[in-house]
Amino acid sequence: MDSRPPKIRVWVFPNGKSIALCAVLGAMWYAGASQGNGAAYLLCFVLAALVAVSTVHAWANLRGVRIAVEPMAPAFAGDDLAVPLAVSSISRRSHFGIHVSSGVGKKAVLFSEVAPDGVQRGTLRFPAVRRGCFRELRLRVSSRFPLGFFTARQRLILEQPHYIYPLPGGTAPLPRTLAPTRQPRDGTRHEGDDFGGVRAWRAGESQRHIDWKAAARGQPLLTKQWTGEADEIMCFDWQALAPLEVEARLSQIAKWVIVAERGGSSYAVRLPGVTIKAARGDRHFHQCLRALAVFEGGGPSAVSGGAS
Amino acid sequence: MKVFHQSPRASALATAPLVGIIAALILAVAPLAAKIAGWVLGFFLIACGGRLFMNRDAGKLPSLAVKVLLFALGIGGVAATYGSMLGIEPGLSILLFLVSLKLLEANSARDFHVLALIGFFLALCALFFSQDLLLWLYVAVVILLLTATLVRFHRGEGVASYRRSTLLAVTLLLQALPIVVLLFLFFPRTYGGFRFQFSQSILNAAGMSERLSPGSIAALALNDQIVFRADFPDGKVPPMSAMYWRAGVLWRGDGLTWIHGLPLNEEGRLGQLGGMAVRQRISVQPHGARWLYALDRPASDVRGATLEPGGFLQSRRTITSQFRYEVISRPENRQTTLPAEQRVETLRPPARVSPQVRALVAGWQREHPDPQDLIETALHFFRKERFIYTLHPGTYSDANGLDEFLFERRQGFCEHYAAAFATLMRVAGISSRVVIGYHGGEFNALGKYVIVRQADAHAWCEVWIKDSGWLRVDPTDMIAPDRLASGLASYLETHGAETDPAASQRSTAAAGWRELQRDLRLAWDSINYQWDLRVLNFDEDNQRTFLLALGFGSIRWPEILTWVVVLIATCLGVIGLWLRRPGPESGDEVGRWYGRFCRILEGGGLKRETWEGPQHFGERAAAHFAAQAVAIREITALYIQLRYGPAAPAPRAFIRAVRSMPRLLPATGGT
Repeated sequence: MDSRPPKIRVWVFPNGKSIALCAVLGAMWYAGASQGNGAAYLLCFVLAALVAVSTVHAWANLRGVRIAVEPMAPAFAGDDLAVPLAVSSISRRSHFGIHVSSGVGKKAVLFSEVAPDGVQRGTLRFPAVRRGCFRELRLRVSSRFPLGFFTARQRLILEQPHYIYPLPGGTAPLPRTLAPTRQPRDGTRHEGDDFGGVRAWRAGESQRHIDWKAAARGQPLLTKQWTGEADEIMCFDWQALAPLEVEARLSQIAKWVIVAERGGSSYAVRLPGVTIKAARGDRHFHQCLRALAVFEGGGPSAVSGGAS
Repeated sequence: MKVFHQSPRASALATAPLVGIIAALILAVAPLAAKIAGWVLGFFLIACGGRLFMNRDAGKLPSLAVKVLLFALGIGGVAATYGSMLGIEPGLSILLFLVSLKLLEANSARDFHVLALIGFFLALCALFFSQDLLLWLYVAVVILLLTATLVRFHRGEGVASYRRSTLLAVTLLLQALPIVVLLFLFFPRTYGGFRFQFSQSILNAAGMSERLSPGSIAALALNDQIVFRADFPDGKVPPMSAMYWRAGVLWRGDGLTWIHGLPLNEEGRLGQLGGMAVRQRISVQPHGARWLYALDRPASDVRGATLEPGGFLQSRRTITSQFRYEVISRPENRQTTLPAEQRVETLRPPARVSPQVRALVAGWQREHPDPQDLIETALHFFRKERFIYTLHPGTYSDANGLDEFLFERRQGFCEHYAAAFATLMRVAGISSRVVIGYHGGEFNALGKYVIVRQADAHAWCEVWIKDSGWLRVDPTDMIAPDRLASGLASYLETHGAETDPAASQRSTAAAGWRELQRDLRLAWDSINYQWDLRVLNFDEDNQRTFLLALGFGSIRWPEILTWVVVLIATCLGVIGLWLRRPGPESGDEVGRWYGRFCRILEGGGLKRETWEGPQHFGERAAAHFAAQAVAIREITALYIQLRYGPAAPAPRAFIRAVRSMPRLLPATGGT
C-alpha cells in the first residue's frame, strides 16, 4: 500500500471568531478615526496584521502534517466505525491542535501536538451508516492554531479498504437444520468444532481464531477455543426471505450468521449469484458477512463508492 | 472509576492559559483603574481569583441564578455610584463588571476568545486617556501577552509551552511589522464627520481655565505634565525669557478674579502686527478643551482653528488627541485704533473699588499724567513695597481680596500680580486686559525643541497705549526677574536653598546626578517627540503629503489600495515560503539512529509502514531477514527500552548496534 498522501491543498477559512474579531477591529478603527487617535489606529493595524500573519501560520501548521489510516477492523452498520489514525510530521517541525473528523460525525480526534519524531496515534469513531466495501476514507482535518481566528482545513481522501457489514436484525426464526454432519475428530481445533469460550490472544498465534466481533466492539483481541463437534448445518437462503425487501433480508441473514456462529453451528449462505458453502469459524463468518456487505441487488459487485 | 457524570458546570479550561488571560486582563485594566469605580475593580479582582479557584479539581462554576443576581446587582451598583449610566466612567465600570461576569462563566473555547477580544479592546481604551510612547509600549506588551495566551490555548499542553508560545507570539509580531507599516502609511485616514467625540472628562488633564482667580495658576506650578512641544523650522529660536506662549485673553476683571467676558466683535486680525516673524511647529498633547498656543502674537491662520479677538488661537473642536500645527508669530502689536466696545470693556473698573485703592491710583495720576510713566510707577510700586513672589500666598477673600493683597499681605503668585496690575490700570483709566498662557519652557538641545509643561503656566497684562497698540507688561518680571529668566523649577530650588545651607551643600553633591537624570529625561522626551511627530500626527493631511511625495500624482484610492493589497499578499507569501521550509535535523539522536536502521532495512526491501510500531516492524523484519534476526531484535528491544522504558539508559549500546548493522541487499532477504 502506498501511503504517500495525495497532494491536497490546505485552505484557510474564517470562522465565527473572525466575525467577533472584525467587530473589535471595527471598533478600534472607529475609535482611531473619530478621535483622530493615531495610537488607536496603530493598535488596530497591529492586531489586523497579527491576524493576517496568523493565517499563514495556520496554513503552514496543517500543511506539514501527514495523516495515515492503519488497517481497520470491519464494523456493523449502526455501530461506530473505528478508524485508527497515525499522525506524523513531514516538515520536521511540531504541529499543534490538529482535529481529524469524518464528514459524518461531529466528533473529532484532537492531536494537540504532533512532534517531528514519532507518530501520534488516535482512533476516530464515527457511525457506520451504509453497508458495503469502501476503498477509501474521507476525512476532514482542521486546526485553529495559532490564534484561533481562522481555521485551516484540508479534505483528505485516504485509501484504506474497509467493510461495513449490514445491520443485524430481523425477527424471522432460524431456518431449520438441513443435515446433521459429523466432522472427523483428531483432538485438535478444527473449523466446525464446538465453540468453547475465549481467552486472550497471544502474539504469534494464528489470527484465524481471533474474535473479530469483539475486537470490532473495541475489546482486546481474544482467541476462540474450540471443543466438541458440529452437529448441524443451516442454510441461510436469500430466496427464503422473499416477502422482505433487500436490506431487511440482508439484515436478517447477518443476524442468523451471528447467532449461528455463536451457537457453533455450521452454516451456508446462499445469495443470488453467490453461494458460500457451509462451514464455520472466523474466516467463514467474515466471508459471509463480506458477501452480505457488498451484495448489490441481483448480483454482488466488488466494491462500491466512498463511505460518506 | 467515574460513577457520576461530570457536571456541566465543572471547569473545562486548562489552568495555564486561564492564568495567562487573567494576567493579561489585569494588565490591560491597570491603566484604566482611575476611571473605574473602586468596588467594580474589587469585584473584578475577586472574579479573577475566584475563577482560578474554581479551576481546581472539584470546582464548579456559578449557576445561572447567581450570575443573573450578580448582573442585576452590578448594573444597579454602577447606576447608584455614578447616578447615571452614560459617560465614560459608568461605561467602563459596566464593561469591566461584565468582563468579570464573563470571566466567572468562561468555560469554552468561544468564551476564551471573547475574553481575549475584550482584552484587546480594554488595551485600546487605555489609549484614549494618554498617547504617550511609554503607555503605547505597555499596551503592546499586553497585546503580546494576549497573543501568547491565545497561542498557548491552541497549542495544548506540552514541553515549555508558555515559553514557546510567547516565542511564537513574538515571531508573529515581528512578521506582522511590515504589514503594520504598510497599513499605517497607506490605509486611508479620515477625520471629521464623526458625531461621537469624547469630552474633557475623559482626559484627566489639568490645565488652563477660562477664569483666573487667586491660586489658579499656582495650582499648576508643580504639575510637570507636558502641554505642548514646539520646534522652530527656520532655526530662529527666541531667547527663553521672551517666550510668551499666548493661550487666551481675559477681558473682564473684578479685583483679583478675571474671566473671559463677553464675546466681542472681531478686531482687525492680521497685518497689524510687526517685528521679526518666528515660525513654530507646535504639537499639543490632548487636553480635552479648545486651547491652542502660539508665541506672542500669532500672525497666521491655522487649520481647524480660529483667531479670536484679543489675538489668540482657538481650536474649532476639542482636542482629544495629538494635534500639530504650524503658526507664524510676530512680537509687536501695531494696532492703531481700539474698537469702541473693546475700549469700553477694557476700561470697565471693578464693581467696587475701595477708597484706599482709589487714593493710591489718584496719587500716581497726579504725579504722572503720561500713561507710560504711570505704568512704570505702578510696576515700581510692587518692587518698592516689598511684595513677595511665592507659591503659597494663602487665600484671599473674594470681597476685598485686592486690598488685602495690595496693602496687607503683599504675597502672591503671577496671577495675583497680573490681576492686580490690570485692575489698577483700569482704575487709572488705562485700557488693560489679562493674558494667560505659558512662559518659557525647557529647551531640548538634542531634538532642538521646547517642552512646555503645566508648571510653566503664566499670566501677564497688556495695556493699550494710544498710537503704539497693545503693550505687554509683566509685573512678575518686576517682583522676581530671575523666575522668568530661569524657569520656575530652578527659581524655587535656588530660593529654597538659600534658607537652608545644608540643603545647598546636598544639592551641589547631587548636582552631577541630577544633570545626568536631566539628560536622560530629555533624550527620552525627544524620542517621545519623534513618536508624536511621526506616528500620532500622521493624519489625513500628512498622508496626502506623503503620497504626493511618493509620486502618486493625484490620490486615487482604488489604485493605492490595490497596491497595498498586492504588497501585503507578497509579505504573506514570503512568510509562507519561509514557513514551508523543513525544520532542522532532529536533535533526537536515538530517533536519528533508528531512522538509519529503518533505511538499512528499506534498502533490503522492507519498508516500515507509517502506522507500524517498532515492535511490529521488528518482528516483521526479523522474519524477513532471518540472517540478521538477532541483530534486528536486539536493536528493536534497545530502541523500545530507550523510548518507552521507565529509566532510559545511555543510547551508546543502541548506536553501536545500529552502526554494526550490515547493509542489506534485497538478495540477502531470506524469503
